[in-house]
Parts: sequence; C-alpha cells; structure tokens
Amino acid sequence: MSLPPAAIVLESVSKRYGSRTIIRDVSFTVGHGEIVGFLGPNGAGKTTTMRLIAGFTAATTGRVTVAGYDMATDNVEAARRIGYQPERPPLYDTLDVSAYLRFVAKVKGVRRAALAGEIERVTAACHLEAVVRQEIYKLSKGYRQRLGLAQALLGSPEVLLLDEPTAGLDPAQIQETREVIRDFGRSHAVLLSTHILAEATLICQRVAIIHHGRLLAIDSPSGLQRAIAQTNRVSLQVTALAGELRAELLSVKGVTAVSMLPPDRDGQLTVECQVDVGHGIEAAIARAVAARWDLHRLERQAPTLENIFLQYVADRPNGSEPA
Amino acid sequence: MRGTLAVYQKELSTYFRSPIAYYVVVFLTGETTMAGTLQNMGILLLTLAPVISMRLFSAEYGAGTAELLLTLPLTPWQIVLGKYLGAVTILLLISVGTVVDLVPLYIFGTPETTTILAGYIGFVLLGMACLAVGELFSVLTHNQIVAALITAAVLLGFWFVGHLQDFQRSDVLRSLVGYLSFARHFTDFIQGLVRTDGVAFYLVVSAVALTLSASYLQWRR
Repeated sequence: MSLPPAAIVLESVSKRYGSRTIIRDVSFTVGHGEIVGFLGPNGAGKTTTMRLIAGFTAATTGRVTVAGYDMATDNVEAARRIGYQPERPPLYDTLDVSAYLRFVAKVKGVRRAALAGEIERVTAACHLEAVVRQEIYKLSKGYRQRLGLAQALLGSPEVLLLDEPTAGLDPAQIQETREVIRDFGRSHAVLLSTHILAEATLICQRVAIIHHGRLLAIDSPSGLQRAIAQTNRVSLQVTALAGELRAELLSVKGVTAVSMLPPDRDGQLTVECQVDVGHGIEAAIARAVAARWDLHRLERQAPTLENIFLQYVADRPNGSEPA
Repeated sequence: MRGTLAVYQKELSTYFRSPIAYYVVVFLTGETTMAGTLQNMGILLLTLAPVISMRLFSAEYGAGTAELLLTLPLTPWQIVLGKYLGAVTILLLISVGTVVDLVPLYIFGTPETTTILAGYIGFVLLGMACLAVGELFSVLTHNQIVAALITAAVLLGFWFVGHLQDFQRSDVLRSLVGYLSFARHFTDFIQGLVRTDGVAFYLVVSAVALTLSASYLQWRR
C-alpha cells in the first residue's frame, strides 16, 4: 500500500543566474486536493519558484517533479497536467477572449468536441461571459487578471500554479476568485503565491514562507501560529503606578520582560509582557495584578500571520543560514 | 502536429489583426508594378521579411505571453515551426498578390511562363530563408525593432557578400563567398534556372536558422 505521489515535489532545488543565486536549496511538496500558499516579500523568489515548477526555467541543481514527471526531462508531458497563471496575465491583445481560450485549450489537448463546453465552463467560473466576444486589449485590468486564471483552468489540470491571482482585483472580484480557487483546490493541487497574508490564511491548508530565496517554514497557518506563540506576548491594561507594577509583573514566574506606555488621562497603563512558554501564565499575571490594582483588560496576543511572517524574516536576515 | 497547427492558426489570426500584414502585402504588390522585375522584388524582400519576422518571438517576450507559450505542452520545435509556417503563409500571400502584375504582361505580350515560374520559386525560397533568419533574431532579442534591424543587416550582408569575391585571392574563399551569396542563387532563379544547389542552399539556410532557434529556446531554460 503506497500513498499516491505528491502532485508537486521540489527536492533541494536551487536556481542561479550567473553569480546570483535566486533560489537556495528549497524542498517541499504539494499533495492532491491541497492548497498551499507561497508567502514572501517582493523579490523573495516566489515567481522564480513558480517558473521552475511550471517549466519556464530549469533548476540549476535539485529536482522538480510535477504529477510524477521530472521537469528536467519530461516537461512537455508534465505541462499537459499544469495550469499556470503567471504574475502578468499572458494575453494576446489582438485576439478576442474566445479565440484566445480556444488556442490555449487546443494546445492543452482538449478534444474538438469538448472545446466549446470547456470554454463555457471556465468563462462561467471566472465570470467572463460578458466579454467573450471582446478583443483582449479592450478588457479592464480585473477582466485581464481573470482571463489569465481562466486559461490556467482549461483542461482541468492536476496542478494549478497561480502567481498572485488576486492582484489588481476589486474586493468583490477577490472574493469570487478565492471561491474559484477553493473549489478547484478540493480535487486538485494548487500552489498560489501571494504577499497578502489574510489570503493565505483564508484559503490555504498550508503556508510556505520564503525569503531571500530560502524556504523558512512550511506548515498550516495555525501550526505556524503555534510555533511562534511560544515566544509571544501578554498585553494588559491596569490602573497602577508604573514602578510597582513593573516589579510585581517581573516577580511572576515566566515573565521575562515588561514594557509599558506612559499612563493615559485616566491613569491607565498599557503594558506588554514578554512571556515564556507554558500554560497558565495569563492566569498567574491576572492573579498578581488583580490582587492590588484594577485590571481592565488582559489578553494573550495570538500572533497574526503577519507577525509570524515578520518574525521569520527578521530572524534570518540576508539569507544567512538558519541557526 | 496538433500543437504546431494551433500555434500556426494563432499566428495567422494575430497577423491579420495587426496592420503589419496588410502593410506588407499592399506595399509589395503595389511596388512590383513599378519595379517590374523579380530582382527588385528580391531586394525588397530583404527589407520586408524582417518586418514580418520581427514580432514572432520578440512580441511574445514583450507581452509576457512567452511565459504561456513556453509552459504549454509544446516542444520548442512545435513553437518555432508553427510560427515559421505562419510567416511563410504571409510570404505566399504576398507572392500570390504579385501575380496580379502578370495579367497585363500576358494580355499584351507572350512572356516565358517557365522563366517566371522559376523566378517565383526562387522568390519564395529566398523569402523562406530570410524569414528563418529573422525568426532566429526574434528569438534572441526582446525588442522587435532591434530584431528587425539586425535581421535586415544580416540579410543585406548575405545579399551583397558576393561582391567580396573580387577581393579574394584564394579560390576556396572566392567560391565560398560566392556560394554564401543570397543574390547569386536568386539571380539563377530569375534567369529561369532552378538548380539543385540553389534550392538546397535556401533550404539549408532555413533549416540551420530554425534549428538554432529551437535549440536556443531549449537552452534558455
């Protein structure tokens, strides 16, 4: 009994252009029926990694396998199973929408008899019905972006690669596009890059964080949050004298650092405690504080993905080796 | 085959939705009436072929569509060949367009049909070689204008390289320079001579240029 191979497999992949290393030793997999988000600042290597998987460029070292095909040798066979939406929608301005989709569908091997139905399916999924007969150069940015997604969906590829699929869309369109991706991701492997953290948390089962061409972490959004929560903070609002409160807080076991803002008009202090790993620290702090002062608010700050991301990025500047 | 055909069809529809094809076809058909000879058509072709071929790949790089084309299930050869056949079709349409100019010739005179036919064969073969060379430079550069200018320069070089014969002392160099001349082979054709080495020359030039284009696409990954 063997598990089906993952749809996308990267094994120690590096990409160099001359002396510049864009991707360093990246390994991860994306399974069938899984949506993985690829998160990183601009220039982190997201697009290059996408291009490596799509077969636009080849890895300098390491191995990229898509749907069981080695991209170094069988990239054409693999391409039949990949839908790829590059960062910039790859559109022929002089063609009309349906001629463009027909061209891509034919090359992808969609049968002549199934052509019309397939084009209808993707135009409906991407809400392009209104512009099917229009020349592409006349389309608005939102339509162009969605046409880029529509061509990637043609032929129901096993693997869908989306490079910033919601860039340039309005909020309603973003919502619709996420719905399309979520639907598709139920039965296919989807890798999507984004620098919008909320997007990754909303639609991805796992998130990979990349920075300076290096993969820093890959886990579920909640897994990443747990990993970072260990060094997290407790914040509270108390009416008290700053010096006494500081001493009291530092005497609580597990509190390693205390920082506070000057008191506001009502004499309330906003305090942030750096706390150790472990449960019950909030309760211990609450007991110690409430015994002597008025405690107005206390909460353990769950790290947002934004914090996690910044933390990972801050921990490893300039692509240095992780400790 | 199906992939090549799809690229070919896409090429033709993009050609005829941009003004370049119309410009080229109208320009050449109109011009021959005045020029009157296939010799002039040949020289004109050297400057017009780059205009047809310049967009083949440069435009794809510029528009970002290369990223689509090169990640679709197509081999480099299918892409290169599909595009080449599209360009050759435009060339054939131009050739057919110039046939109009023969009508008065046949009404008012008795031209030698075989000579004219040989000239046309030469014209198409020369055009095929020019387009293949043009496609190669279009593969190599992201800028259409640069592609057109380099192609035109190289083609003019091949056209006039025969003149260097007078400066060569060695027989080998002299015959080599003569053999490489686009003009010399073309002159044979318009004089009514369809010679194997002339046909082979243009076909080999085309094949070499197309192979280099496909190899470059493979290599650039």
